[in-house]
Amino acid sequence: MTALLGSRPDVPTDVRPGAASPKRRPRRRFSLERSAPLVLVFPAIAILLVFRVYPLVLGVNFSFTGDQELNGVFIGLDNYVTLFTDVRFHAAARNVIVVLLFVPLEVLVAGILATFIFLKVPGHRFYRSVYFLPVVLSPIIIGAIFNIVLAANGPLNDVNKALGLPVIDWLGQSNSALPSVLGVHIWATFGMALVIFLAGFSTVDQELLDAARIDGASLAQTIWYVVIPELSQTIQFVFVTTTIGMLTGIFGLLYTMTAGGPGAASYLPEFLIWKLNGEAKPALASAASVVLLLLILVIGLLQIRVLRRATKEV
Amino acid sequence: MRSRGAARWIIAAPMALLAIATIYPMLYTLNIALKSRVDYVLDRGGLTTDLNFQNFVDAWTQANMGRYYLNSIFVTVVSVALILLISSMAGFALSHLTFRGSRATFLLILAAMMIPFQVIMVPFIKTLSDFSMINTYPGLIVAYVSQFLPFTIYFMTAYFARIPKEITEAARVDGNTIYGVFGRIMLPLGRPALLSMGILNALFCWNDILISLLVMQSPSQRTLMVGVSALRGQYPDNVPTYLAGVLLVVLPLIVVYLIFQRQITTGVTAGATKG
Repeated sequence: MTALLGSRPDVPTDVRPGAASPKRRPRRRFSLERSAPLVLVFPAIAILLVFRVYPLVLGVNFSFTGDQELNGVFIGLDNYVTLFTDVRFHAAARNVIVVLLFVPLEVLVAGILATFIFLKVPGHRFYRSVYFLPVVLSPIIIGAIFNIVLAANGPLNDVNKALGLPVIDWLGQSNSALPSVLGVHIWATFGMALVIFLAGFSTVDQELLDAARIDGASLAQTIWYVVIPELSQTIQFVFVTTTIGMLTGIFGLLYTMTAGGPGAASYLPEFLIWKLNGEAKPALASAASVVLLLLILVIGLLQIRVLRRATKEV
Repeated sequence: MRSRGAARWIIAAPMALLAIATIYPMLYTLNIALKSRVDYVLDRGGLTTDLNFQNFVDAWTQANMGRYYLNSIFVTVVSVALILLISSMAGFALSHLTFRGSRATFLLILAAMMIPFQVIMVPFIKTLSDFSMINTYPGLIVAYVSQFLPFTIYFMTAYFARIPKEITEAARVDGNTIYGVFGRIMLPLGRPALLSMGILNALFCWNDILISLLVMQSPSQRTLMVGVSALRGQYPDNVPTYLAGVLLVVLPLIVVYLIFQRQITTGVTAGATKG
């Protein structure tokens, strides 16, 4: 990922070969065949430069300008100052920490279940299919279903009543709204992490497992000393994709389940950006986008570093 | 590790519970969608006795679902076709041809993969409106293509890289142009990867809400997901009809999943185990 960061300034240079080819025409005759690689790659580069890289630059630029009557006027860091004093931003920042606490939970659940499936518990094929099913459903559908399931008079509270537990308005109370949404997100996506783990398991060297068994290693020892070190790449990958999924993939659930509420209790950065943009404050929204970008880059880098160190010690 | 019979059955019990927890919400939804409104009010939890398909008919006709279905199908099909074409062209060039800037191109693709849409959504919408593409199908299609292209290129490049260069070189010696090699050799050999990416990207486009909400603002151009999320406001006191509408949207997804499960999992696990 360090390479990625370093690469950004070079990005514009890679169009030059394509752009420069007409200039070479006098010396070498232009040939569709000779320029084939550039012809093949050109649509991809053009789309990514115009609709990914340019907006990114534009957005960073935008975040230093004003909204409404100050549209286009350079206002320095004022947007960031406004943002850092906004209660909804505070809520979103606090909620990011809550989200990060839920990441290990999802990875752990998926990892354990993947281990069981890998060990071929009875019915493992069926479980694998069932667990993955919610992954293909849209967050809109999942949100709609869980709005009913989690309602104050919904089936989950019927279970609570039957067990003598208090009835909770899961999505209507500020302390349970976000955890409920995150719980639903885990329900919807752990199948993805599980399948990634299984792909990793299939690359574990069978000879190592056999050697461990011959040496009399217990199941726990086999998992700790053989499987986990062998899977370090996969575990990293799951951690990173799960974190990024939680920080950037919950919009649909928030939109259908809580709309950020009650109050700002379940705001996340992506929802804040969307909301600010909808309130005709695109420049302020851009400042929030820059903060989210930094957050995602930092989390990606930190996770890779921490996990690399952790697996080297084993 | 494979001998502990009893332990394996003990493990299977919580797994079965979890499987029930996964399926139950959907069955619960189906049960309610089949109830009449009166039944729903009187007895929410009980198993439905009469199979009342009127809710599905109501949701389909009153909520303009047919129109939304067509919108979603059109946008998804065109977007996926473009994504597959552009990404296989780029993947072929990046894996089998040498050219100046290939490394920088690949880095551009990886960088684009890392940037979530949320980060660029405000300036992206501004860029689209500069091209006057807001509220147009080309605008939504370009949004999907640019969003899902980077990962698909990455996947196709990795897939094509496993095809030996001798094959493409032999085809060139036989007198094929590079375009001929692409069309006659790479595309047919890449069919499994194209299928996998086609299904996965179709799901992404079909299920998207955020991009669609931003780009398509007029009601008649809504995609299915936006249309369904609006159903809730249309039927605030008629839950069975609302859930019937939701199930009409779920149905094609479950069918696709049952048919293409393997291709979908191949797609999502790409990159997990190597480099």
